[in-house]
This record gives sequence, C-alpha cells and structure tokens, in this order.
Amino acid sequence: MEFALILELSVNGIFIGLMYALVAAGLVLIYKTSGIANLAQGALAMMGAYVVWAISAQLGAPMWLAIPLGLIVMFGAGLLTERLALRRMIGQPVIMVIMLTIGIEIMLRGVLPGIFGAAVKKLDVGIPNDPLFIGDILINRATMIGGLISLALVALSIAFFNSRLGLMMRAVSDDQMASWSVGIRVDRAVAIAWGLSATMATTAGILWGSTQGVDWSLSLLLIKALAIAILGGLDSIPGVLLAGVLIGLAESLATGLLDPLVGGGTRDVVASVIILLTLLLRPHGLFGREHIERV
Amino acid sequence: MSVTRRTLLSQAAVIALATQFRIDPAAAQEKVIRFAMPQDFTKIYTFVTAEYSQGQKDYIALVNARGGINGYRILAEVSDQGNDLPRAIEQYERAKSQGAILVDPLGTPAARALTPRALADKINLITAYSGRSDAADGTVFPYIFPLSPNYWTQIALLIDYFRTQSGGDLKGKKICFVHIDTPFGKEPLPILKRLQEKLGFELSTFPYTPPGNDQSAIWPQVRRARPDWVVFWGAGVGQTVALTEAIRNGLPLSKVSSSVWLSESDMDVVGRQQAAGVLKVEPCASGREPRLIQQILKEVVEPGKGSGAAEKVGTAYYNYGVMITSIMVEGVRQAFAKAPNGPISGEWLNAGLSSITNFEAEGLIPPTTVTPQDHQGGGKARIARWDGTKFVPATDWFTAYQDVVWDEIRTTAAEFQKSGK
Repeated sequence: MEFALILELSVNGIFIGLMYALVAAGLVLIYKTSGIANLAQGALAMMGAYVVWAISAQLGAPMWLAIPLGLIVMFGAGLLTERLALRRMIGQPVIMVIMLTIGIEIMLRGVLPGIFGAAVKKLDVGIPNDPLFIGDILINRATMIGGLISLALVALSIAFFNSRLGLMMRAVSDDQMASWSVGIRVDRAVAIAWGLSATMATTAGILWGSTQGVDWSLSLLLIKALAIAILGGLDSIPGVLLAGVLIGLAESLATGLLDPLVGGGTRDVVASVIILLTLLLRPHGLFGREHIERV
Repeated sequence: MSVTRRTLLSQAAVIALATQFRIDPAAAQEKVIRFAMPQDFTKIYTFVTAEYSQGQKDYIALVNARGGINGYRILAEVSDQGNDLPRAIEQYERAKSQGAILVDPLGTPAARALTPRALADKINLITAYSGRSDAADGTVFPYIFPLSPNYWTQIALLIDYFRTQSGGDLKGKKICFVHIDTPFGKEPLPILKRLQEKLGFELSTFPYTPPGNDQSAIWPQVRRARPDWVVFWGAGVGQTVALTEAIRNGLPLSKVSSSVWLSESDMDVVGRQQAAGVLKVEPCASGREPRLIQQILKEVVEPGKGSGAAEKVGTAYYNYGVMITSIMVEGVRQAFAKAPNGPISGEWLNAGLSSITNFEAEGLIPPTTVTPQDHQGGGKARIARWDGTKFVPATDWFTAYQDVVWDEIRTTAAEFQKSGK
C-alpha cells in the first residue's frame, strides 16, 4: 500500500477520532459528576441534530440562529432529564440508573424518527464538499472542520473543570456527602453536568449530521464514544482526546489495511476490541483514576 | 367479571344460532379482493416505505374510484412489521386468515422469511426490489413475484451501460464496487465476477460497515484506484454518505452510479446541484409526466383523497409503488379474463399474474411480460441521470446479459429446490 494513502487515512482518521471524542467528553462529564455512564449519549446527539434541523427546516430559522437555539433547547432537555428521571433514582442501585439511560436511548431512537419522519435529513452548516488537496493528500473538509471544533470544545471543557463551577463539580464527583457538608449544591451541579453533556452531544450531532445527514444512525455514535471513554479513562477529559485520536486512527487504518485482507468489516470490530482489551488489561483506562475501595 | 348461568346460556344460544349461517368471506366483504402490505415503516426500510406505500394506496384509490375491477374493490391492508420477522409472520398469518390473496412486504428479511409459507399457502408474495433474486424462476417459486429487475439484472444493466459508453469494450477498464457489507450488498458480486470474466474489466470491491454512516476511509481508496466507473450499492443513509464522499473525493459523478435505491430525497440530503450527473437504474419513469401519475393527481390527489403529502406524488419511490401495484392490479384483470367467475383465491390470481403480457402502465413502466417461468417480468429498465433537479433517462428501456443472470437464477433456484434454503 502506498505511503500517501496511509498518510491520508491517518490524517482523516485523526479528525474523525476528534469528532467521536466530543461525544465521549459528554459521557465523561456526567460520569465525573454523578458516577453514571449515560448510555443515552448517542441518542442525545441524534436528538440535538433533529432539534437543530427542525428549527432550521421546519420553523425556517437561519442556521446561525438554529444552532444556538438548538443548544439552548438541548441544555434544557439535559436539565429536565436529570430533574424528572435521574433525580428520582437517587438511592437506587447504579445498575437501575444505567438501565434508565438505556430506556431513554431506546425511547428517543423510536420516538424522534416517528415525529420528524425516518428519512435522512439534510443539515447544511455551510461546510463545502469540494475536495481539498494538500499535495497528493485529500483532506476531508467536513471532518477537518468538525475535528478542529471538537478539539476546541474538549479543550474548553478541560479549562471549565479548572473554573469555580468546574471545581465544584469535581468536588461533587470526589465525594457527594463531603460536598453537601461544605455547602455545595450537589443536585444543581449534577443537573448542570447533564445540561452541558446534552449540549456537547448536540454539537457532536450537528457536526456528524452535517457530514452524514440526520437520522437514527447518529445514535450509533454511542459505541465509539464508549470505546473512547473507556480507553481514555471514564473520568478523564484529556484522556478522551488521546483515546479519540487513537481510535479514529486505528479504525481508519484498519479499513485501509485490514479490510482488503479479510474482505471488510474491520472498522467496527476495532472499537469493540479496544473496549474488551482495555477492560481486561487496564480497567481504569489510560488516564482514569484507579478506585481503591477499603473494606 | 362474574358469569351467571343466564349470560352463559344466552351467549351459547347466540353462538349456536350464528353457526347455523355459513359466512362466505367474499360475500361478507361485498366483492372485495384483499391484498396485504405488512411493510417496514419504522426500522430499516424507512427511507422508501412511506413514499412507496403512498403510491400504492393512491393507485388503489384510483382503481376503486373507477369502480374497481369487474365490480370488485381492491382492499389493501397496510401494517407496520418494523423489519421484525415474528411481526411480519404474524401479520402475514392474519392477512391469510382474512382472505388475502397477495402479500407485499417490501423488505428482504421479511420476504425471505415468508417465502416458504407463501409457497405452501399458495398466496402470491410480491418481492419487488427485495427478497431472493432467484425468485425470478417461476418454475421453482410459483407464488413469489419480484415483478421488477432483480439486483443481478440491475448490475448487468449498469455494466452494459458502461460498455456502450466506453466504445463497446470494457477490456482493461477499472470498475470499483462500493457496497454495504450485508447479503444485500454482496448480492451483485457473482454477476460482476461472471461479467468480469466475460468482458475483461478489472474489478475492485470495497465493503463498508452497515449502516454506512462513516465511509471516510473507503472513498480515498476508491479515488486512488483511479476507476473508470464506480458503482455504490446500499440503502438509506449509506447511499447519501457514499454519494457525498464521492463528491468530497472529487470523483466525476458522470462515472458514478447506483441501483434503484437512489431518490430525490437522497439528492436533497447530498445537495441537488452537487449531485448532478450521478447515474441510477430506473425501473419506471420518475416525475409527474407519466399519464398514470397525471390521472392519480386529477382523480385522487386534487379531490383531496390522496393518502399523503401531495409534493411526494411523482418521486422515484412513489412511482415504484404505483408501478408495482399497477402490475398487481393488471394481474387481477388477467385473472378475471381467464376465469371471470373465480373463485377468487391465490391460485386464481396466480394465473392472472403469470399471464401479464407487454403491460406498460400507460407508459410508466417498460413493457413487462410475466410468464409461469419468468417472474421478473423481462428484466427491462433504463439508466437515468440526475440533472440537478430530476432524473432524466440516459437510455431507452433495455435489458442486458440475461443469459448470465438466468444461469445464476437457475443455479441458485435449483439449490433452493434441493435444500429449501
């Protein structure tokens, strides 16, 4: 295989990985504050894309307005999810809470295409499809712009965790009882985390929706996000950046190098192999904190 | 709820009285011919089903508004099987118990699952654009009717078009086949390989993981292969992503083509102008110009009796629905011509469907002849090009390499006959 193709697959794979990382960052955000893996994150990305599409195509708003409105709506949806569903589960076993997020995922995947129609929708955010060549290497504009926006947002999340509100959320993630005792409103911190996570999911949904169109398949982003969050460490935002790049790179190269040998289908296997190997060899991921429980 | 002796006795009396009268289903339904459409409106085939079903319902409304066929109304029971096989089977069984003599599930998994039942029950199973390609062999599948060019014929049509556009010779030309990595996506491969041997072109295949929402690592390989022609083969989001990636990779769309699964709504997603030039197999005319579509507009849609959004009338998938239903109804006409007094049954309709000759649905479809041997209908279609606003024919109706296609049909049909699989 020619070197130029490997280079091209690598560059585009990195950008794709960064776009996945944005969905994973939302997962980590919730895990860091409430210790729950939100398995509805893919469906929230799908919902965010549908909402922005509906504001733009159904209500006729220009895209520059539809995007911020969509983000606000989804921030509210995140808050409501926490308030109406998650908060009622306080005191229940974690597995029940995770089951609830699976329930939300299934419900959204069924209800949204039912409301908006199941055909693929166009979400035009103004990124041109014209090929962009640097020498012999083609850069996919949509994934490059998407990757760079994701990188900026994940970097912003890292900065956010060093702000006052971010510190409060870290405290909540470390010890909820201790946070209560020093006057931190734990429920509010968790609700904000859900709102922000839904906003991140929406941004990812918009970026992916602009590259592939909006339909139920956006919810499949969950699998990639899970692989990235597990590899990076479920409580590490910087971890998702590196893991995103690694997984994007591995998938892209597997498609180019392994598919011709085995007849295809290796792209999705990569994510599942990474989940398995990480859990077996390094359960807390590359950057996650190892939880030691004294009994 | 408590059951007293009086209610028990009165119910028993009613049942006893009722069973004295033999209810003839046809008489009870006042001259009705029952079709059943258990289709997938909510899972995998959502990209096509709504428009296809709208075309079916509007055409049936047209037929019924004109008094039906021989005074019989067509009653089409539409239901959602959600690409779920137990639900499809349950809905098929219910349709059978209600007297349906034709079932159109529009989906490969459901069609494959229902094939043995339809053969045993002698109910006509329509498998247009889906199901088994070898079901074209009516001698092995007497009750299965594709009634449209199967995937083997579709790929043969595309290859023949490439040949004519390449000066009549494909020797040394490179064809890239990008396909979803499922049995449907792989279906054209045997014919492609046979034609590769016959015509001497180079073939490179690129499978992508379903549903095909990320093909970014596939298309750079296609571009670097410097193909003379490209075929992409998928459905739903896989099709729009494939076409978008072809554009992003700078491939000339006049050399990029697909099966029947490309529609105006796909072009809306990709961008109507950006997609200009792409080719597809067209089994019937698109748009509102065909006389039959004009009649539907005038007699069904304008009086407010249409079954869906008026702007969908005339889209590719709407017209596919009209096409297939018009052939079904022509089968009913032929059945009445052969046996005016029935009895109306699956066998009765089968005789009609198997004797359709040169039917054109008033110019909507290519001349279609269905025989007890050929349930494909002759395998004619045309290649159409998207011009930025609509699909325009790039060829006349034609068929190609039916010798190769029928070799494959007979071989696999014989395997089915032997193994039941």
